[in-house]
Amino acid sequence: MEKTVFIKDTDGGTKDRTREFYTEFINQLRERKLEDKIQVVRVADVGVYNQGVVMRLLPDNFLYGQLEMANIPALIDESVVPGKRIDHLTCHHISKQMKIVLRNCGVIDPEDIEDYIAHDGYQALAKVLTEYTPEKVIEEMKASGLRGRGGAGYPTWLKWKFTREVKSDEKYVICNGDEGDPGAYMDRSVLEGDPHTVIEGMVIAAYVVGATQGYFYIRAEYPLAVDRIQKAIAQAYDYGLLGKNILGSSFSLDVDVRLGAGAFVCGEETALLASVEGKRGYPHPRPPYPAVKGLWNHPTVINNVETLANISSIMLKGGKWFSGIGTETSKGTKVFAVTGKVKNSGLVEVPMGTTLREIVFDIGGGVLNDKKIKAVQTGGPSGGVIPEDFHNIPVGYENLQKLGSIMGSGGMIVMDETDCMVDIAKFYLRFCVDESCGKCAPCRIGGTQLLNILEKISEGTAHLDDLKKMRKISFAMQKASLCGLGQTASNPVLSTMSFFEEEYKTHVVDKKCPSRRCSRLFSYSIIQEKCVKCGACYRNCPVNAISGSRESGYKISENACIRCNRCFEVCKFNAIDRG
Amino acid sequence: MKKMTKEELQKLKEGWGKEKKNWIRVGYSSCGIAAGADEVYNTLREEISKRNINIEIKKCGCVGMCYAEPLVEVNVEGAPRVYYGKVDKDIAAKIVERHVSGKMLLNDRIYDVKVNS
Ligand SMILES: Cc1cc2nc3c(=O)[nH]c(=O)nc-3n(C[C@H](O)[C@H](O)[C@H](O)COP(=O)(O)O)c2cc1C
Ligand code: SF4
Ligand code: SF4
Repeated sequence: MEKTVFIKDTDGGTKDRTREFYTEFINQLRERKLEDKIQVVRVADVGVYNQGVVMRLLPDNFLYGQLEMANIPALIDESVVPGKRIDHLTCHHISKQMKIVLRNCGVIDPEDIEDYIAHDGYQALAKVLTEYTPEKVIEEMKASGLRGRGGAGYPTWLKWKFTREVKSDEKYVICNGDEGDPGAYMDRSVLEGDPHTVIEGMVIAAYVVGATQGYFYIRAEYPLAVDRIQKAIAQAYDYGLLGKNILGSSFSLDVDVRLGAGAFVCGEETALLASVEGKRGYPHPRPPYPAVKGLWNHPTVINNVETLANISSIMLKGGKWFSGIGTETSKGTKVFAVTGKVKNSGLVEVPMGTTLREIVFDIGGGVLNDKKIKAVQTGGPSGGVIPEDFHNIPVGYENLQKLGSIMGSGGMIVMDETDCMVDIAKFYLRFCVDESCGKCAPCRIGGTQLLNILEKISEGTAHLDDLKKMRKISFAMQKASLCGLGQTASNPVLSTMSFFEEEYKTHVVDKKCPSRRCSRLFSYSIIQEKCVKCGACYRNCPVNAISGSRESGYKISENACIRCNRCFEVCKFNAIDRG
Repeated sequence: MKKMTKEELQKLKEGWGKEKKNWIRVGYSSCGIAAGADEVYNTLREEISKRNINIEIKKCGCVGMCYAEPLVEVNVEGAPRVYYGKVDKDIAAKIVERHVSGKMLLNDRIYDVKVNS
């Protein structure tokens, strides 16, 4: 075969025309006796969406969109055969993704150090150890503008500089791989897919601050990540990339793995330190910051997995290169785990400044079942929801903060009209209440009180006063909690309240849940005028809450009904009411 | 392996040489394994050895398309380099039979096409 034609109808919701187009294309090739030269393939995804029937031609690499059957002769005779581009059919599409952190994920064998080395692995370390002073590394890091990817977005170079400047004969570096946010798994993927790049970043960090011992703190729920990082560490020792006199230099570093005990708060840096020391994972007040008094009271750098995964590229390509990517204050790329009501759930890595709309629609393929998007949740339990009106805003630390959310570690959950904002707030808050360590009162008591009110709202027993009370408690928690968990736990509540106030009021005043999630606020019944007595609901109800017969018609017992929505889905006559 | 110096690191890197001509990569992270990558990997191996084909099969991390796992990337000379998604045992066998041996791509299973590289 000399050429390949890939075909896919990219319009969702309408009838799929892929097959029709494919068959006609092949027929026309046969007429021209070209079927042995040109291969036609139907694909499941071509990487562009809502562009009608799309065709990609290889090796020419032409992309055509909004195609009609009538275009086929011209496509063959004027493009495929002569290898020329037809301008007016061309679909202009530039990939929105850019891979720095994930550059090796899915490309190399994570259990083979030589594969990593073959892909420029440990080149940055070699360069740093032989050509760069620690000051020079800090300079490059400053020029890069890299900020921590673990949540707070603190400039990495500054953290390293502070730690370097503290005099001490023992210093530590820790890689934070606790990743406890619901919906986030970027760090797991990096640890599993390219463990050596994280190790390389850690060794460079250790060289800069003068640490002699490093720890990977990884949650015990990530056995594969732990296994791969352990194998990678062992290999790195074997090859002289860890241990004494790394790459023949005078620099030495030992690295070990510590398992997270499964508490979300252990990702918070002071709690993490306690946990690594073998104590109970309770946070303690800062200052002193870990840079001054960290592990066993020695200066310690704590960096997130993704932060460390950026280091080797910055060292190889330069800080300036890195700062050319992204926005004014947010440099480089960010990895997001896009989940929820999105067609292509998975990991994406985009330059900072990409919009939420581009992430969800151009990369994610749009909303599942082509429903309308309602909001995107970022930042997990410390973040908030961003309604559709703001989806054109470039993603960056400050921009998301202005909207009452945060970048967080990179969880991104797409929500459609069936998601209830009260329910979402309740979900995240319950998570924080469950995960609160209980050490300080604002978080322990405030969280529980907030949750109680949210529960009242979703049961229809709250008053308008309660909304005011919620704001008050939230502010108190933000101001008075000891650690980041309590300080940010009310963010999802405040954010949903500010963007979806009407929805809260509908719950409180009208006692209705517009998204039909809060099961106490609606019930199912059959609209007898519309019902044709087909019995579909009766047969499909999983708890036999529907009684009757084809003669007498059907009735739903409110008490027995578990509000699973099955009958609503199966009724073809819109005869089920969810009032 | 004895401890390397910078020079030995370079030598090792260069020794790997250019990318091998024919290879298959299987997404082998948590998402892939949960979706059945193990069975897919084993099937690919069996089919390859049954047919005596000289091709490298490699377990890799996650490329990000978690919704389409198990994911299999195939690069054989004479055919475009593509990612097959939602691969099961049967499709894995067909990939070897049709794509690897016959250089014919499978319909409806390709989730991404690698361009210009
Ligand atoms: C409750 C809570 C949980 C956290 N969990 C994590 C985590 O799982 N991973 C992480 O890297 N940072 C987490 N952080 C942020 C860390 O405290 C710390 O800021 C971060 O690891 C610093 O690394 P960076 O500068 O590279 O971002 C958490 C913070 C809080 C308050
Ligand atoms: S804010 Fe919450 S999690 Fe943090 S120390 Fe206080 S009680 Fe513990
Ligand atoms: S499925 Fe709809 S039309 Fe059929 S019996 Fe139930 S309510 Fe009536």
